[in-house]
Amino acid sequence: MGDSAYSFSLTTFSRTGKLLQIEYALNAVANGRTALGICAKDGVVIATDKKLPSVLVDTAHVHKMETITPTTGFCYSGVGPDYRVLVKRARKSSQAYVRMYGDIEPISQLVKSTAGVMQEYTQRGGVRPFGVSLLVAGLDGDGRPGLYQVDPSGAYFGWKATAIGKNFVSAKSFLEKRYSDDMELEDAIHTALLTLREGFEGEMSADNIEVGIVKQDGKFQVLTPEQIQDYLDEAT
Amino acid sequence: MSILEYNGAAMIAMAGKDCVGIAADRRLGVQLQTVATDFNKVFAMGPKSYVGLAGLATDVQTLKNILEFRKNLYELKEEREMSPATLSHLLSTLLYEKRFGPYFVEPIVAGLNEKNKPFLSAMDLIGAPVQADDFVVSGTCTGNLYGMCESLYRPDLEPEELFETIAQALLSSVDRDAISGWGGVVHIITKDGVTTKELKGRQD
Amino acid sequence: MAFFGPESAIGSDILDIGSRKALTKRQRGIGVDLGVPGQFDVPNVPDPALYCRSNFASACGNADAGQEVKFAKGTTTLAFKFNGGIIVSVDSRSTMGYYIASGTVKKVIEINPFLLGTMAGGAADCSFWERNLGMECRLYELRNGRRITVAAASKLLANVMSAYRGYGLSMGTMITGWDETGPQLYYVDNDGTRLKGKYFSVGSGSMYAYGVLDNHWREDLSVEEAIDLGKRAIYHATHRDAASGGINNLYHVTADGWKYIHGIDVNDMHYEFAEEKKNAMSS
Repeated sequence: MGDSAYSFSLTTFSRTGKLLQIEYALNAVANGRTALGICAKDGVVIATDKKLPSVLVDTAHVHKMETITPTTGFCYSGVGPDYRVLVKRARKSSQAYVRMYGDIEPISQLVKSTAGVMQEYTQRGGVRPFGVSLLVAGLDGDGRPGLYQVDPSGAYFGWKATAIGKNFVSAKSFLEKRYSDDMELEDAIHTALLTLREGFEGEMSADNIEVGIVKQDGKFQVLTPEQIQDYLDEAT
Repeated sequence: MSILEYNGAAMIAMAGKDCVGIAADRRLGVQLQTVATDFNKVFAMGPKSYVGLAGLATDVQTLKNILEFRKNLYELKEEREMSPATLSHLLSTLLYEKRFGPYFVEPIVAGLNEKNKPFLSAMDLIGAPVQADDFVVSGTCTGNLYGMCESLYRPDLEPEELFETIAQALLSSVDRDAISGWGGVVHIITKDGVTTKELKGRQD
Repeated sequence: MAFFGPESAIGSDILDIGSRKALTKRQRGIGVDLGVPGQFDVPNVPDPALYCRSNFASACGNADAGQEVKFAKGTTTLAFKFNGGIIVSVDSRSTMGYYIASGTVKKVIEINPFLLGTMAGGAADCSFWERNLGMECRLYELRNGRRITVAAASKLLANVMSAYRGYGLSMGTMITGWDETGPQLYYVDNDGTRLKGKYFSVGSGSMYAYGVLDNHWREDLSVEEAIDLGKRAIYHATHRDAASGGINNLYHVTADGWKYIHGIDVNDMHYEFAEEKKNAMSS
């Protein structure tokens, strides 16, 4: 790829100093399914809508929530296949870390290295930026929970609570109202579901959303539809 | 003659109650010829972790530099101290990277972890690690060192007792080894800091 | 002693293994004619000398490094003549590989009241053959009614070494004493070398001792100065040479025979000399 006639970077500055390709990538993200996350004092929750174009698709085999390290998970908004590439790269990075240090890669390092990959795709020749933003939930080296967002530009932010994808503006303002600093994970899960339902098109069920949680001193886990159903039942 | 015995060394790391000690002799020789009696083979890799490198002196210094470099990079990147367990794993990885052209060094690692509990490990020149909760030894008189440690070690020694135990074990061991000795150095690591003492040893 | 003839050829000693001739030889018992090969049992192989050389060689240096059988050696010994007689000064360390087998070895062998031998190389070879030399010297005395000269005694030992050349014996010794011709000093080793000289040093630490001797030795040293020189030379050797150490045993040989002067821990000397240096610098 590097040697081909198209080995120049597609992401070039416009006259006004903008990188339009990145802005277009952000548009792709904004059109994607809503994903949101809340960082509570004893854990993190990330949740996403996984509504599909046809009822014929078997939702049991669609996974937007992915485990990367035992304590860290990803979800995304945007272009699905691009996401798979990032998951693969992040898993590889985390395994290289384990190989080198014999320790779980802290979320801060994982985010940094993944953001590094995304940045590289804004500058390298012959590639386009990723059409996804990531939400990363996990634990840091000292066991503190963390929630990060990584954008196609390679920029990353740590959040108390955030949302990406369709309706992210209203979801964020909803979260702003509901978030409190002494929130515990159980409250956060309920708040996350409530926020997701807010902008949901149609009926939200245990089968058309995904939820991932990580508890302090625990592991990252993707909730089963049964577990999600329990939370939905509690809310009503 | 093994290249690991070219310069001569003796070192011990031993665990106490919420403290660890690490000690080594001070000789640098070229086979039977004693060249220096103030050589360092134990290095601080942080306020609570130390590494001892016994073996070929040139590799001791090179590996110390590489390890220090990698540890500094880690600490800058991750904004946290490297635990002795991580240090040991990193060292083991670095050694295996040179599986077919190894550094002729048999390291020991000693330190206190995040909870101020002792960590001890030793490895061979290609990085096969052994973790212990009492003591580890390395150098040209490991037989002597094991013998002394086996008989003097008691669990849960206080820092002062630990110093005395390590010092006696080291001095007695090197007095029966031709190519180590000529003085020693002992570091006792506690959660409150490190005390370093020089040992006066036989000069022959 | 029959030195020549078919029996004395190297290797000929095994040709009769198991035969009546070998039995009669054994019945004669050890104690006579040990200086001739054939008195010891040797390996039942085509070339016993080669076999010994490659399996039990304890020759000077590290020839036995890869060998299953390692010998106790590594040493500093020295002896020098001066107007006041002879000084013999040695360390006391015995090593097997890098293991210190002993720190209190007596490396000066008192052959008789007028003869001293030093020990470097294989401990067993040195002590056995110098003990044997003691016997030969006593027999000489009984036969001839007068003491053997140092020249003759050292020659007896050198002859044995020549006879066993190639068998892997290890010995570097200085034979000293006082005879009718005055103080005498000879160096004899397992190659059969026999040298007469003013001063010698033998062993792995000999280079260090030579450094001190070359610098400070004089013909007209006083007895006190000579003792101090012998002591210092050994100290410096034990400090630098890992295979030397322990105690410095020192003898003084005069017309009245030898006299044991001291046995000082070389580690004590280290601090004694350090103190001396400090005082010299401040004054």
